[in-house]
Amino acid sequence: MVKDSSTKRSIPWIRLSMLMVFVGAIIVIAAQVLDQKLHYVGEDVVPGPIVPGTQYPDEKFTGIDVPQPINFSHKIHAGDNEINCMFCHTYARRSKVSGIPPLSKCMGCHTVIATDKPEIQKLTAMWEKGESPKWNKVHDLPDFVHFTHQRHLKRFLFDNEELDVSDAKRVCSMCHGDIAEMTVAKKSRPLTMGFCIRCHEANEGPSDCTKCHK
Amino acid sequence: MSQVKSGEIKTMSQSKLDRRQFLKGLGLGGAGVALAGCDLPSYVTLEQGEENVISYLAPDEYVIPGVGVWYASTCLGCAGGCSIHGRVREGRVLKLEGNPDSSVNMGRLCQMGQATLQSHFNPDRIANPLVRKNGSLVEASWDDALSLINEKANSGKAAWATGAISGHQRVVVETHLSAIGGSNHYAIEQINANVWQTACGDIIGDPNPEIHLDKAKVIFSLGADFLATFISPVHFAAHYGEFRSVPRGTLIQAEPAMSLTGGNADHWVGIKPGTETSLALGVANALMNKHGISGSGISNATKSLINEHDPATAASICDVPADRIEKIAASLAANSPSIVLAGGTATANANGYSAAAAALMLNQILGNIGVTITSGRELAYPQLGLIEGNSANLKDLAVDANKGKIDVLFVSGTNPLFLAPKSIKMDEGWNKIGFKVVLSSMLDETASAADVVLPLASSLEDWGSHIPAYSTGTRNLALQQPLMEPVFSNTRGFGDVVLGLAKQAGAPGLDEYDDYYGYLRSAISVLKKTDSEKEWNSFLMAGQTPVPSLGRKLSYIDGKISQTANTATDGGLTLIASARMGMWDGRGANLPWLQESPDQISKVVWDSWAELHPKTAKSLGIKDGDYVTIKSSNGEITTRAFIYKGIHPGAIAVPIGRGHSALGRYAKNNGVNPLFILDGGVDAKTGEIATAATRVEVKNAGKNKPLAKLMEIDRQHGRKLVATISADKQRITEGGT
Repeated sequence: MVKDSSTKRSIPWIRLSMLMVFVGAIIVIAAQVLDQKLHYVGEDVVPGPIVPGTQYPDEKFTGIDVPQPINFSHKIHAGDNEINCMFCHTYARRSKVSGIPPLSKCMGCHTVIATDKPEIQKLTAMWEKGESPKWNKVHDLPDFVHFTHQRHLKRFLFDNEELDVSDAKRVCSMCHGDIAEMTVAKKSRPLTMGFCIRCHEANEGPSDCTKCHK
Repeated sequence: MSQVKSGEIKTMSQSKLDRRQFLKGLGLGGAGVALAGCDLPSYVTLEQGEENVISYLAPDEYVIPGVGVWYASTCLGCAGGCSIHGRVREGRVLKLEGNPDSSVNMGRLCQMGQATLQSHFNPDRIANPLVRKNGSLVEASWDDALSLINEKANSGKAAWATGAISGHQRVVVETHLSAIGGSNHYAIEQINANVWQTACGDIIGDPNPEIHLDKAKVIFSLGADFLATFISPVHFAAHYGEFRSVPRGTLIQAEPAMSLTGGNADHWVGIKPGTETSLALGVANALMNKHGISGSGISNATKSLINEHDPATAASICDVPADRIEKIAASLAANSPSIVLAGGTATANANGYSAAAAALMLNQILGNIGVTITSGRELAYPQLGLIEGNSANLKDLAVDANKGKIDVLFVSGTNPLFLAPKSIKMDEGWNKIGFKVVLSSMLDETASAADVVLPLASSLEDWGSHIPAYSTGTRNLALQQPLMEPVFSNTRGFGDVVLGLAKQAGAPGLDEYDDYYGYLRSAISVLKKTDSEKEWNSFLMAGQTPVPSLGRKLSYIDGKISQTANTATDGGLTLIASARMGMWDGRGANLPWLQESPDQISKVVWDSWAELHPKTAKSLGIKDGDYVTIKSSNGEITTRAFIYKGIHPGAIAVPIGRGHSALGRYAKNNGVNPLFILDGGVDAKTGEIATAATRVEVKNAGKNKPLAKLMEIDRQHGRKLVATISADKQRITEGGT
């Protein structure tokens, strides 16, 4: 007896779901290409060995403007006045996070410097009230990524005989771009896993999954 | 993309797609994603400006964001009082570990200790004081709540109910109690070793002797679940590790329903509930008659009891084969020193005290007393000592409340309305108490029925001093210090609240202390005879400090074994309300980590179950996952059956701890509470509520739903997942033949 077709296990929508997955994959790839089109503009290659003895990541990204409660300018501090990044981000060499400097550090200078500027007056008012500003996070990695500033600074700065510690900003700019030219910080590298992996491959960083995904 | 995928999964759950097809689809889809995965467009994975980051104002020198600082404190998960280190980062406590310098837990910490974090960050904690108005609890200010207490606290006979309590918390509670003219302090702990400790006190003259598992070559345990629930499980587990190292000791566990310790035993003996005394007497008989053990110090009365219990007779009483009894005796005779313990299910019946006495008798004739059981040390300041708490006090509370002996009751650290069997009429008694104040961080069954609820800080936000339930050598005072700022700002520490209540009630000599920290610090500086800042800080860093103690001496007084047999033969089953590390007496049920950890024996998560022997299940027509109704003379509970062989065929075991009607979202309406249907029987000598003695009828409730558990099948089907050797070969590795 010929089997009735209705007794066969027919799942019509498996095709549909496969199609959806396929379309989904296309969307992802297309979106990525589009993303690159949008953001990877202009100088694709950063010229010269910015950090000596290092393959320098050459990918760019144009982040969105993230407004901050106080219009802090990296250009004035790190650019014009050439303050070392680690003067304020003092935790970067000791911890996984570089840390926002404590308000006491800001006030160390700004009780006497530029006290007439409205932004500094805003800061002083907060200090007097005992409140820290609620900064908005610009460079945010997912919770499952364990990135550590300490290890990267050791590899590229402190263990790097060709680079003086006073030139720390060259190392910082590998991932953060030329912060010294920015007013309010903006993301300027993609910081995706691909970005990390390419740099790790080029500079012989660890490639096992559990180094970053613990 | 993410939207497409979730839609897809939704369709799958409604369809008959099988696993293979699902995996195929997932694989193909996954491959597509993987191609692009490493460089997903940034707006999918990486946020900019979404989260806040707040800097410190002026941090201490040693504070480094991203790097944890470890502070010492004490775990309040049970009365064990393990010393802990808490990792604090950016002002939050993130992880607890055991303090390696502690003589209690030696760097170890159990799952309940680990999960303390979740009782601290629990979303269902009480944030504000609650006062009963028109029948329901409404939020009130501290001032209103305290003035209401001030008005009512002196209006009659007052009492306190707590869990295990020690150190200066005990002192302030007793100070408050006497200030309001009360005298009764009920210390309630459902899971305790009261029967064993009472027997030890009566028979060998030391209620808390040192138990040296590491020195024993054989452990014969009558129901004492020393790896999970007996006195100080983390301590014993550490010593058990040494006991198991080369040369490997042998563990024999006799109990009606398998516990964690039973699961680790070389020989597990499924004994008929309530007959442990007979087994011990049978073993003593074989030791004396076959192995020439003399039995010094044993009275003639006990000797004649032993003579009545030759292995064959004992076998007929306790349902353990006679040759098994002889093997236990042979093992004990050949391997000295050994140790015999009694606790848990063996002491949770009318003959419990007798079983503990019989275990001590075995230790006496085997010469273990003074070798593996040695004298402990007694605190030189008895007023700070630990009140262990027991379930006899639970019954006393219910009886006294029903007799109208309590008008005002303060409760903290215990949940009598959840723990009490319906047969002891706690609910009725509770309603007769005119004014009830509960100090708690969670709205449990008891707090929900109170007139005033005062919200407490969590154990990780509070100050305290504690005497651990068990430690060897010098006695230490364990210090509890806050590891972070309060999560709920309107909560107060236990010591602060009770000190405030005592001051308000006019207790003398407390006015000089602004808060409990001040009181504690001053009291400890008196105790340590120094008030230097440096000493105090070193005490805080260590988390403990030695306090003077006095040695005790062991003796042996015979003649405490009285009853021998469990006479129940009505054809029903014996309900064993079994205790587990995890849910404990119910306090763990609001912690998802503990709900999610598979039970040590059944591997079930997030629900109750009833353990049944396959033979019993077959005769009752019950399959694994069937709902069964367990009916006693005091009510019934319905839960699902878990069929396995680690239980005596005449017993049914339901773990305690679940079945809450309050205690927050994770605990509420989850599982059943076997304590409710206990018949209220007690151990004849100590009055401990007999949790392994209630006769029940078990019926199939006519529904089946597989239990959610790890390890769905207990067979390997030839896959060799776990390497095995035959039992005979294994005995050779243990020095057998």
